[in-house]
Amino acid sequence: MAEFDVIVVGGGPAGASAAIMMAKNGINVLLVEKADPPGSKNVSGGVLWGHDLDDVIPDWEKSAPLERYVKAKAVGFLTNDSLVNLEFRSRLFDQKKSGYTVLRARLDQFLVKKAKDAGATVVTGVTVDKVAFENGKVKGIEQDGDIITSDGVLLAEGANPRVAIDSGLRPPLSDRDVAIGVKQVIKLPEKTINERFNLREKEGFAGEYVLGYLPDTVEAGGFLYTNKDTISVGVVVSMKHLRENNATYSFNIIDEFVNHPAIAPLLEGGTVDEYSAHLVQEGGLKSIPKLFGNGYLIAGDAAGFSFSNGMVLQGMNYAIASGKAAAQTFTEAYKRKDYSESVLESYRSKLMDSYVLRDMYNFSGIDEVTWSKLVHKTMPKLMENVMSSLFLENGKPKEHIIKLILKGIKSSDEKPSRLVSDGVKMLRRM
Amino acid sequence: MKIEDKLALLNYKTDKSYAHITVKPEICETCPDHFCTFACPAKCYTLIDSKLNFKYEDCVECGTCIVACAHGSVTWTNVKGAHGVKYKYG
Repeated sequence: MAEFDVIVVGGGPAGASAAIMMAKNGINVLLVEKADPPGSKNVSGGVLWGHDLDDVIPDWEKSAPLERYVKAKAVGFLTNDSLVNLEFRSRLFDQKKSGYTVLRARLDQFLVKKAKDAGATVVTGVTVDKVAFENGKVKGIEQDGDIITSDGVLLAEGANPRVAIDSGLRPPLSDRDVAIGVKQVIKLPEKTINERFNLREKEGFAGEYVLGYLPDTVEAGGFLYTNKDTISVGVVVSMKHLRENNATYSFNIIDEFVNHPAIAPLLEGGTVDEYSAHLVQEGGLKSIPKLFGNGYLIAGDAAGFSFSNGMVLQGMNYAIASGKAAAQTFTEAYKRKDYSESVLESYRSKLMDSYVLRDMYNFSGIDEVTWSKLVHKTMPKLMENVMSSLFLENGKPKEHIIKLILKGIKSSDEKPSRLVSDGVKMLRRM
Repeated sequence: MKIEDKLALLNYKTDKSYAHITVKPEICETCPDHFCTFACPAKCYTLIDSKLNFKYEDCVECGTCIVACAHGSVTWTNVKGAHGVKYKYG
């Protein structure tokens, strides 16, 4: 008999949610996390759209270490001189709180503690090397030559899934799968943050930006999220385009963002309290590996579950939702005493029924839009041209907006026909 | 703020007996791009007198370099025994 029913590799939102739900269902779960304390190696932007936590930790909005709830969400285009910004600031966010800013070292520690409370065995500071197989099915996990046995293994090890790769359960990551995330946490008094972002207590701001002024082919997005008395600010850099450029340092791009004339005043007087970096799963449907096999499932970032369409940037909710689907699947396997692939394949249909895989299919090819010259080079410049023609008084007669847009299109270095066809393609895929 | 000063803010429990990333100098010697030096956000890869220098002590374990290196020089393993970077915010 195996020592555990299911071993979960990784104590982030995916692994911890799965462990909580399985332990509640009476399953003998071992959760293994390489960091000690849990969360101390994890990084995210990070806004948690936590709806999925409702049935994992019913009182999470009261008990979890949340920083602020999102009261205002902005999407902006930056050029050398300008910011063209679209902001949604609404009382609707008070009535139905949707997103919360979080810091992962705090959040993940809380989630793993909840797994322990629910009855899971938790070990931290222990690194799993491989999934152990016997006769083509999972036997447990391998750690420094020892095998801890189990009937099932859930791989929820995050954006750099070494165990899955080294066990031959997913291909190595390539340029199309990931981007480089670089972040700084900046300390500022709570009152200063409230004043600068026009917020009351507990209200938060979440902004995402296209950095339309980077050199040559380099493409990156920026983010800025308010925490209680810190600000999380960072960039997500396309690996593919950084490679094509091969002359720009990833660690310098964040400075290009925080020193931008529209961003710098928001951070003025703050002190950098932490620098961090992390891979960001960006590949969408193409990057999703086989999700199940004889005795194993893959969830969260390790499975490529994250979403970005230029307006929305999410990952933790996909992690939690896939962790839940994995917990349900393993619960069925536990009841049937059968962890074979034919039982575990229902994981896929559960994900198809939820938004996790549905979004991946509905938005397949979106990465070609979010990482495109149109979005990162042409559009920011075009918008700046239109806005400056509209708002910079020059003593000349005014023109209709449509004419200004057409002028902007003509003056861009893309062919007008190409711009229109790419624009339509973009809107369709978004 | 220089990258070196940013990295100096971090807490590490350095594993002195085990390098979780290794590179093959014979491959790096003939590398045409040294993209790792641009990609690594912790500046672990630098060129000194046009020779690649790698140090794992500043590594934040993001995994960028194993994707960045297109020439098979980088071997990447998870740190062991809770060594490596320890974020307080994350």
